[in-house]
Amino acid sequence: MRLRGLRIYGPLTLYGIFLLLPFYWMLLTTFKSREELLNTANPFWIYHFTFSHVIELLTQTAYLQWFANTLFVSVASTVVSVFISYITAYAIIRLRFPGSEVVSTVIFLAYIVPPAILFIPLATIIIQLHWFDKLWALVPIYATFLVPFCTWLLIGFLKNIPRELEEAARVDGASNLAILWRIIFPIAVPGLISAAIFSFTLSWNEYLYALVYMSSSGNKTVSVGMTTELIRGDVFQWGQLMAGALIGVLPAILVYFFFVEYYVAGLSGSVKE
Amino acid sequence: MKHLDRREFLATSAAGIGAAALTGAFPSLASAADASPFKPEKDAKLELLRWSGFVKADDTIWAENTKKFTAATGVPVQIQSLNWPDVTPKAALAAQVGSGPDIVMGWNDDPFVYPDKLVDMTDVVENLGKAHGGWYDNARSYCFDQDVKRWVALPVGVTGNALNYRKSWAREAGFNEFPKDLDGMLKMARGMKKNGHPTGFALGHAVGDANSWTHWILWAFGGKQANPDNSIAINSPETNGALQYGKALYETMIDGVSGWTDASNNQAFLAGKIGLTMNGISIWYVAKEQFPAIFPDCANAIPPYGPVKTHTIANNFTSAYVFKYSKYPNAAKDYLRFMLDQAQAGPWVTGMLGYVTPALKGYADLPIWTQDPNITPYRDVMQGAKYDGYNGKPGKAAAQALDEFVLVDMFADVCVNNMAPKDAMRKAETRLNTIYKRA
Amino acid sequence: MLGYLLIAPAAIILLGLLAYPLVLGVWLSLTSATLGKAGEFVGLQNYATILADPIFRGAAAYSVFYTVCSEVGKLVLGLALALVLNQQFRGYRAARALMLLPWVAPTVLSALAWLWLLDPQFSALSWLLVQLHLVHSNVDFLGHPWPARFSLIVVNIWRGLPYFAIGYLAGLQSISKDLYEAAAIDGADGWQAFRRITWPLLAPITTILVAFSSIFTLTDFQLIWTITRGGPTDATQVFTTLAYQRAISGGQLGEGAAIAISPIVFMVVLAFFVVRSVREK
Repeated sequence: MRLRGLRIYGPLTLYGIFLLLPFYWMLLTTFKSREELLNTANPFWIYHFTFSHVIELLTQTAYLQWFANTLFVSVASTVVSVFISYITAYAIIRLRFPGSEVVSTVIFLAYIVPPAILFIPLATIIIQLHWFDKLWALVPIYATFLVPFCTWLLIGFLKNIPRELEEAARVDGASNLAILWRIIFPIAVPGLISAAIFSFTLSWNEYLYALVYMSSSGNKTVSVGMTTELIRGDVFQWGQLMAGALIGVLPAILVYFFFVEYYVAGLSGSVKE
Repeated sequence: MKHLDRREFLATSAAGIGAAALTGAFPSLASAADASPFKPEKDAKLELLRWSGFVKADDTIWAENTKKFTAATGVPVQIQSLNWPDVTPKAALAAQVGSGPDIVMGWNDDPFVYPDKLVDMTDVVENLGKAHGGWYDNARSYCFDQDVKRWVALPVGVTGNALNYRKSWAREAGFNEFPKDLDGMLKMARGMKKNGHPTGFALGHAVGDANSWTHWILWAFGGKQANPDNSIAINSPETNGALQYGKALYETMIDGVSGWTDASNNQAFLAGKIGLTMNGISIWYVAKEQFPAIFPDCANAIPPYGPVKTHTIANNFTSAYVFKYSKYPNAAKDYLRFMLDQAQAGPWVTGMLGYVTPALKGYADLPIWTQDPNITPYRDVMQGAKYDGYNGKPGKAAAQALDEFVLVDMFADVCVNNMAPKDAMRKAETRLNTIYKRA
Repeated sequence: MLGYLLIAPAAIILLGLLAYPLVLGVWLSLTSATLGKAGEFVGLQNYATILADPIFRGAAAYSVFYTVCSEVGKLVLGLALALVLNQQFRGYRAARALMLLPWVAPTVLSALAWLWLLDPQFSALSWLLVQLHLVHSNVDFLGHPWPARFSLIVVNIWRGLPYFAIGYLAGLQSISKDLYEAAAIDGADGWQAFRRITWPLLAPITTILVAFSSIFTLTDFQLIWTITRGGPTDATQVFTTLAYQRAISGGQLGEGAAIAISPIVFMVVLAFFVVRSVREK
């Protein structure tokens, strides 16, 4: 028993140190005075504890607004993308219409376009559509990189749902749409949760599009707001930056804490042979 | 954090205006405001994109001045501020798609990248120049486009670069005063290093800090990136001299400068790890506010002469430009004229302790510059300052060479990568030839 | 008919906001466009220019090196972590959620934390190494080409490892326990079971994880831009940072587009593997 414990907790400790060190660092920086950040006997300890960075972040910047914006964009683009991906995946694998093979290939190819250059031509389109500096515009934009992955994941997942279920329903006279909603949907929930978690994470972390397509301070997301307003020229507000980073991780960590099993189960269902 | 409180701020700005009236540098302040030749369009509203202030007072006072403008003219102005390196891409995007902020306050050669998209600013430049003692030469280099033959931007000023050092460590090294030439400075740097206080000048891809000191040294030895006809002139004995000096100075530096970003030298200096660096006034400003233990020992000095025997300072130049797609160009011009007028710009420069040195010569008379001898060097950074790409044509090619860190990399090759100066020069020459041919 | 209706939303978004701008991007790469000027058609001239440019060749080489090293690191460490997490132990749920943190945290902000951890003067890592008497003075992580290149790879592994771990965890859970029991009866030891059962059965998920992650890594931007900006002396330039520098700061849209488009060659190959592996199922 002790040997087994060692074999689990030993490697786990090493991984923990590597993976969590930057977060421990964020925690320290959040509560350290600025002076102590530069001069300290032991950087891994806090000698003069201070809440001032957190207070300044919450009272002197629009952090809460950015947080709400990010939450809105992430939730909305997750819901929209997962929905679109679900119906697309179903159409591709079950309704073998002419060209469905091509569609699935094209969707994968969609993954390979780097945003770092796409944002200029895309901007032209955003302007023509009058979507510039509109927070909700990020929802369809984020869908461009969320839909391909989610569709792939759901194709794998739906494939493993036995056809017999649908055929039985069809014998009972259910239409395709009814099957999509009443029969498949409940079974697909783990796959959908999995896709949703993935989408939420990527939307929460997106930077470049939010930076260039949103302009007013009221429309900034957490990443953009923090880097544009807490880095003043050559002076970094380290305490506030790291405090904001930590608070910014919280929603995602909560989501994962409660749903990580579904996420794994969903992924697992979609990679089953 | 302690900032200038309101009363203090009002006192200093009132002093500024009073002194200006006494010296007579600003003839008839009130009439200048009344007689604005720019009449805002009906129902005009403006959007300004600018870099967020390096010191907080910048943003605060800028916003207060903007409110005054709105009160006087009825034109609302929405200010959007970004971390300074992010302004360039955002403005580029606006130029490309023909939509975005009416006014951009950007950096260095930005306006030369898309001069066709910009409103002719000649009238504002002349109006303000007449009222405030004229412009420094640098203003023309950065804002007058030689291809389209007009002012494409309104010069605002520079975040100036001077040397920041620790008085007691300089004294220990035998220097009661800051040396007046580069040889003296090297001696001082060596002395400090011997006493365990190295210097620190960025050699990584630090947009501001790495460019500033390498350009200064290059020019101080008479080195030039290009000739006036834009032929490349970097491969020269003068550049060689500058590189040799850079290498000698590098030996007095703390480890790791080749990985430094713009924030690194501030942090190293404030932590007492280095005794000499080059920076804007932000180090001194932050020391004053947050590091009382070392503040009395911090001093600033104007960068000394090299063999060419004149000032050869490199600053970060900021200018404001108006896009042609703006529906309210006159309102935009009126706003900029208003913001750079004495009643607004005086308190602005004063409140941020001279972080921005205006490109208008008249502002050198503001009392803030002499309030503390450590602010004075920043008043003088515009004298003899050169522009990036010197002595070639300011413009796209120079902008690209700066963005690609060609000169910084040349110094880093010699100092850090142990390349022979002649090889480093040849490498830089090849890169510059490609860039200048392309642009 | 219903099929077309159901894929219509995805098609509209992907065609309008992805394919169309991509075509515009490819077109840009064939022109002499600069910021604010449309330019004219120049054929493949931009591609010829960048191929002759030693900085581009360096960026291409480092992009591939960065991707290969990061992928190998993430694969090995991610799989090992998944094997650990696949067991039942006290606190496994918290462990799974915590180990995912690097992948979940906003990249720009965690890159800033790393920037400070790798700082030449204030690095807590250096401090620790000095205290342990492993080095005499601070390590210069970012000041010289090779240390900087490997530092970025480590940070990339740090961020992407959890993504592999979670994917492999899913893969492991889809493997039937019976197979292991049968192997045990045949007298196979742990390593043999891993080689004969686990690894072959993980092959499809491996392909998918590597392909998707490689695409992310090859077009990585935020992390490198925040930590080194392509320095020192262009040692850590990759496709995207160089494209951004040329196109946005320098205004050479045509050339920048060509640089950004060029990794697509690599990515088409990767995407081919994903498509094939999905089809095979």
